[in-house]
Amino acid sequence: MKNIYRPIEATLEGVIVETPTIKTFVLRPKEDFSFRTGQFIELTLPGMGEAPFTPSSDPNIKEKIDVTIMNAGRVTSLLHNSPKNISVGIRGPYGKGYPLDKFAGKDIVIVGGGVGLAPLRSLLFSLFAEIDKYNKIVLRYGARTPNDMVYKDAIPLWANKKKVDLVTTVDVGNPEWKGNVGIVTTIVKDLPVDIKNTVCIVCGPPIMMKFVTLKLLDTGFAPGDIYLSMEKNMSCGLGKCGHCRVGKYYACKDGPVFTYEQLKDIHDIWD
Amino acid sequence: MSKVYYIESSQLNAFFNRVKEGYKVFSPAIKDKNAKEIDYYYRNINSDTSFVYNSYRTVEPLKSFFTSACEKVTDYFSPEKNITEVAGKAIIFGVKSCDIVGHKIQDFVFLEGVEVDSLYAARRENTILISSDFTDFKEVCHCLAWDILPHPTAGFDLNLSPLNEGYLVEAGSRKGEELIGQYKDYFIPAKEVQISARRTKRDNLIDRLKKHLLTQSLVPKDMVQKIVKEGYSFDTWQQFMLTCVECGGCNLICDTCHCFILADKKESHYQNKKIRVWDSCLYANYARVAGGANPLKTRAARLRNRFMKKFDFFVDNLGMPACCGCGRCIEVCPGKIDIREVLKDLAKKSNNQK
Repeated sequence: MKNIYRPIEATLEGVIVETPTIKTFVLRPKEDFSFRTGQFIELTLPGMGEAPFTPSSDPNIKEKIDVTIMNAGRVTSLLHNSPKNISVGIRGPYGKGYPLDKFAGKDIVIVGGGVGLAPLRSLLFSLFAEIDKYNKIVLRYGARTPNDMVYKDAIPLWANKKKVDLVTTVDVGNPEWKGNVGIVTTIVKDLPVDIKNTVCIVCGPPIMMKFVTLKLLDTGFAPGDIYLSMEKNMSCGLGKCGHCRVGKYYACKDGPVFTYEQLKDIHDIWD
Repeated sequence: MSKVYYIESSQLNAFFNRVKEGYKVFSPAIKDKNAKEIDYYYRNINSDTSFVYNSYRTVEPLKSFFTSACEKVTDYFSPEKNITEVAGKAIIFGVKSCDIVGHKIQDFVFLEGVEVDSLYAARRENTILISSDFTDFKEVCHCLAWDILPHPTAGFDLNLSPLNEGYLVEAGSRKGEELIGQYKDYFIPAKEVQISARRTKRDNLIDRLKKHLLTQSLVPKDMVQKIVKEGYSFDTWQQFMLTCVECGGCNLICDTCHCFILADKKESHYQNKKIRVWDSCLYANYARVAGGANPLKTRAARLRNRFMKKFDFFVDNLGMPACCGCGRCIEVCPGKIDIREVLKDLAKKSNNQK
């Protein structure tokens, strides 16, 4: 029988600096590994610790996985200070991911905050790969400052793609910044979509998801059409260790993507 | 009805000492005979010993034979993919009905769901549970409040019921039948009159336990989910948490609590291992995520989480509360937090609201 806790080995092939606190790590697994967009992995530094992350790369590319990580805790800080070419461990993929079949034939609103754009980049790649299936993609992204924006080179390329409507904002600008200034909710308005035939996907810090969700509900989107990523401390990823309970669900096996409909009656979901 | 046998006390002793030839044997023993209320502890039987019948449950929970407080679950990147530890054959004596019912939760967690925990499964497969009837109970025992009888009705391999100068032995599974077949000289088929004597003894104990619980007016099983849900914002949680020292004892000794954390251990430059350590939802860092956010920041939120998990989550997901009324958490708590009293307080406050 398979040992469910055994990580597979991967080489840390490259590190891309996105912002002063965020890096994208390029991993090459040494065994077959694939994931669906929105599923997460447990990334391990052998002997040091592991933490859950959602890959940010195109799920159709099997030989490499990108994971975009903010330096925010013990494991992430060790990762940020790791040299290239070391061996790391990967467990997973875990969770259900984004239900792309339910997005077909619809307008898709994607709202990202800060490093929350990471899982959404993987979603964008999946959508771009079969763009004919979807009506349009309305992407709204906010970061704290222009320097805190991830994927700076990719964003203008996405904006020029067909069927894509992209707006960005920053909480605080700088002299070079010519774009919008204001928190992300300020650009979640007058969305060019058919409210009745739209799904909204939100990923970012809990406080940002809370206010974006309230705004979307206010605009008239149905709770079942709003998809949220729940950040919990998934330890095992398999619904066994108990840490990521959200009401009657586990974020690791029933999520990490939930509709607001699933969450709306659960207390303190934004904490 | 499954097969019932009779075995004389001296014969049971002989059987008890024979089985260790083929199995690792764990059985209860008394540590302090003069204690006000005797406690039974498990010991590994490896020399000839006389069998001790525990009249109620042991101090240790049954789960401790299937997961450990801290153990290695995997090496890193070993070429072999299937590194399931071959669990040794074991027999555990003295298991009680509360343990068996509580263990349903562990089975649900580790054997079902998205993937099977192969180490747990191997241990479960290789372990024979020899349960026995309660013939007495502890002050904290309250299995009947959860509709659990003080004798097992399913989930055991063999069950012992003391009767006169011996024991009735009921086989509850194929593994139990096979063990009897292997040592068939010790066992004789039970007579109808013996089985009805067992029924009388069991009924008497149930009556005694009912009387013991009557004065406590415990919250009934079918009310408990409603009460913890209604009590989400009650001050019960703050009140009962006043004496909690966050030792985690209630979780660690609970037969149904299953939370663990996967951690890494550095052995040497080339050898690292992943370990599994029991975790407690009363610990401050239980739910903390990177960046410092913590959904269970307050002590009260953590106590509430324990109850929501037991009486809401598991009722929704498995159709039963994750409490078997063994009372271990009550005994172990240095802050004297009593699960029965927490539920009663919620029930009282929820009634007052109406």
